[in-house]
Amino acid sequence: MAEDLNWAVGGEAGDGIDSTGKIFAQALSRAGRHVFTSKDFASRIRGGYTAYKIRTSVDQVQSVVDRLDILVALTQRTIDENLDELHEGSAIIYDGERSWEADIPEDAAAVDVPLKSLAEDAGGAIMRNIVALGAACEITGFDVEYLDEALEKRFGGKGSKIVENNKEAARLGQEYVQENYDLDLGYDLETTDNDYVLLNGNEAIGMGALAAGCRFYAGYPITPATSIMEYLTGRIEDYGGHVVQAEDELSAINMALGAARSGARSMTATSGAGIDLMTETFGLVATSETPLVITDVQRSGPSTGMPTKQEQGDLNMALYGGHGEVPRFIVAPTTITECFWKTIEAFNLAEKYQTPVFLVSDLAMSVTEQTFSPEAFDMDAVEIDRGKLVEDDEVDEWLDSQGRFRAHAVTDDGVSPRAIPGTTDGAHMSTGLEHDELGRRTEDQDERVQQVDKRSRKVETAKEREEWDYREFGDADADNLVISWGSNEGALIEALEYLEDDGIDVRIISVPYIFPRPDLSDEIDAADDTIVVECNATGQFADVIEHDVLTRVKRINKYTGVRFKADELADEIADKLSQEVPAQ
Amino acid sequence: MSSQSDVRFTDFKSDKQPTWCPGCGDFGTMNGMMKGLAETGNDPDNTFVVAGIGCSGKIGTYMHSYALHGVHGRALPVGTGVKMARPDIEVMVAGGDGDGYSIGSGHFVHAVRRNVDMSYVVMDNRIYGLTKGQASPTSRSDFETSTTPEGPKQPPVNPLALALASGATFIAQSFASDALRHQEIIQEAIEHDGFGFVNVFSPCVTFNDVDTYDYFRDSLVDLQEDEDHDATNYEDAKEVILDADKEYQGIMYQDENSVPYHEQHGVTEDMSEIPDGAPEDAMDLVREFY
Repeated sequence: MAEDLNWAVGGEAGDGIDSTGKIFAQALSRAGRHVFTSKDFASRIRGGYTAYKIRTSVDQVQSVVDRLDILVALTQRTIDENLDELHEGSAIIYDGERSWEADIPEDAAAVDVPLKSLAEDAGGAIMRNIVALGAACEITGFDVEYLDEALEKRFGGKGSKIVENNKEAARLGQEYVQENYDLDLGYDLETTDNDYVLLNGNEAIGMGALAAGCRFYAGYPITPATSIMEYLTGRIEDYGGHVVQAEDELSAINMALGAARSGARSMTATSGAGIDLMTETFGLVATSETPLVITDVQRSGPSTGMPTKQEQGDLNMALYGGHGEVPRFIVAPTTITECFWKTIEAFNLAEKYQTPVFLVSDLAMSVTEQTFSPEAFDMDAVEIDRGKLVEDDEVDEWLDSQGRFRAHAVTDDGVSPRAIPGTTDGAHMSTGLEHDELGRRTEDQDERVQQVDKRSRKVETAKEREEWDYREFGDADADNLVISWGSNEGALIEALEYLEDDGIDVRIISVPYIFPRPDLSDEIDAADDTIVVECNATGQFADVIEHDVLTRVKRINKYTGVRFKADELADEIADKLSQEVPAQ
Repeated sequence: MSSQSDVRFTDFKSDKQPTWCPGCGDFGTMNGMMKGLAETGNDPDNTFVVAGIGCSGKIGTYMHSYALHGVHGRALPVGTGVKMARPDIEVMVAGGDGDGYSIGSGHFVHAVRRNVDMSYVVMDNRIYGLTKGQASPTSRSDFETSTTPEGPKQPPVNPLALALASGATFIAQSFASDALRHQEIIQEAIEHDGFGFVNVFSPCVTFNDVDTYDYFRDSLVDLQEDEDHDATNYEDAKEVILDADKEYQGIMYQDENSVPYHEQHGVTEDMSEIPDGAPEDAMDLVREFY
């Protein structure tokens, strides 16, 4: 891999850290460089440490690492929080005129820039972070014109004066460093002619929903799912759709259910605490056989937990949530591009099998911005399958002898015809009560068994008809197998390089389907050692795998609230491989 | 789809025989709903009925239309979703006092505020009937039940006042036994441009021996006969709604300037129609991220 650069800006919440980081990431993307970002943030608007970190390279980057090369520090805490990651070639940009006495570690280069005064010279103190970005350009040998492009994108809507002032602020920062420092840290950011798009997992889910024909979204604000709703608001209307902010999650899922019964492709998204409430309606979605996509952007739990921190703790809830036996599909994208494609797949699965589909993402993926070639989101490749949606002239074949529509007809594949309001002679009832083929309440034993079996049969049919495969990386013949689900894939792929350096060969299996899921028996049998990696304390996916394969696996669990880093993961894998397999 | 002239109210009747107790107010309430729907030019294939849970919630089974019988208390959100996605469909939500004013009271407030163009019919019998006689949110404070042997000792919810305070544009009350007036009021609610809310006195003959047919017949004051009452006047509405001494029938309040949700928000498309692939200009969505 080409040389990468690890850059960060940190300060108090409210210091504009997020937008500053995003502007720099955008500039790097414009320069044809890949970026991978991560955020440390608190659940408040002002106060508390927050940071935006960027790893950039001309090659694709998929993980953060434990190293920091350039740090823009607006507070002392920013420096203290990152001491471990700073090294001899690091530079810290800070404003010595500010009231705090910067305590800079000895081996890092201290770059004292009067950010505030220079910003005032450019037109306002508010631009001090942009001055710092100009300074960062100078230190890294990065052409400030790319920063100009990012500033135009960011502030273009606010008028040319604002844009010009910001450009000037960047210039002043760059020149100040040029004139006052003679640094040679060896950074010289290469550029390419490649065009990249920069987006996060929630944006990819939102874009996937629009591509898939989602027309209705109901949600209740909750970190870290809200940005899906914010993405759709203002865009879905262009396609005749609508976003509604419900009074709570109970309402959100029921609105989405109503829209789905009306024939709209419909979605709601929330995080674990909201899934708790929505669980009330899972069973109804399943028994009324309503196609619905329910997105869970997981965050740290239980209860309010750590609302702005990473965790993959909701797997069991997605699998088992709700009373009674509820057929469902669970899809868990492993990358940001997969957030897009799996969202489209979720809508197709929902309509083909008339079931709830859980799209399970996580906080790390939702806030990470990453660069991709635009072709990674090739809209021409999007396929829509609406399943057994019947037209007016197809209703006849599904009527009983008295002309009543059999909305829950017992069929070989378990899938019944679906008539939406307005379809002539399709009027029917659906209910959360057990029902007959017409949707009318029944407690008849035979009808009960027929309906339960029919709903289960949809899952069996889907197992046969659809591909429930996994993604594979590393050495396919390696004796060491590492299995992961969700957003850990990128860090694992990068960990491979570190492991190779240590002479350890690993086969990585990244599983995007939780239910139904691929059968990994052969793969696990073929390996000497199997490790399941996930961001939770109890190893929920490892439990499922052990149950599937009836053998013990090793586990790497992280529940600090921070996603896995490539180098850290490599160390943990090497360590686990040296340990005994747990007793049966 | 049948044309308006063809539709009879019995078209909205399913062949399932109701299991309500003989004499239950819900029979009359349902008849008025079916007649109201037929009289306003709807037919079963373009009508969606959402039913809550409770005795009243069974109504979806006894009527014939597109229908969903959902989770306790969540009928209004379902109706909201149906109507937003399909403005062309007539949506009627039906439930009871427990469904609407207890477990679903949060949704009631917000459905009223949203002013989605649908009707909401609450069969208010001031008792939990299906669970065999416990206090409901509209039970009198001294009403003795199995779970409140000395009465709830708390004032009943005034759903009309709750609606008024939430910004309602149509508030009415009817009596299931006064078939003609009940049907007229339901029709007004259907035809109202916005959220048409009707609280229906729908007596429970098995578990409520206080709020009986006789009680309502004797005490009901019909606002139609009150020449001083102007339903478009907010102050008049407030007066009758907050009058704890009388039971009223009629339209308490109707905001003539009601702007329904779909007009406020420009939600007018049939959302069930989508292209076979991604929208034509979908690559523009990707380019936004350059």
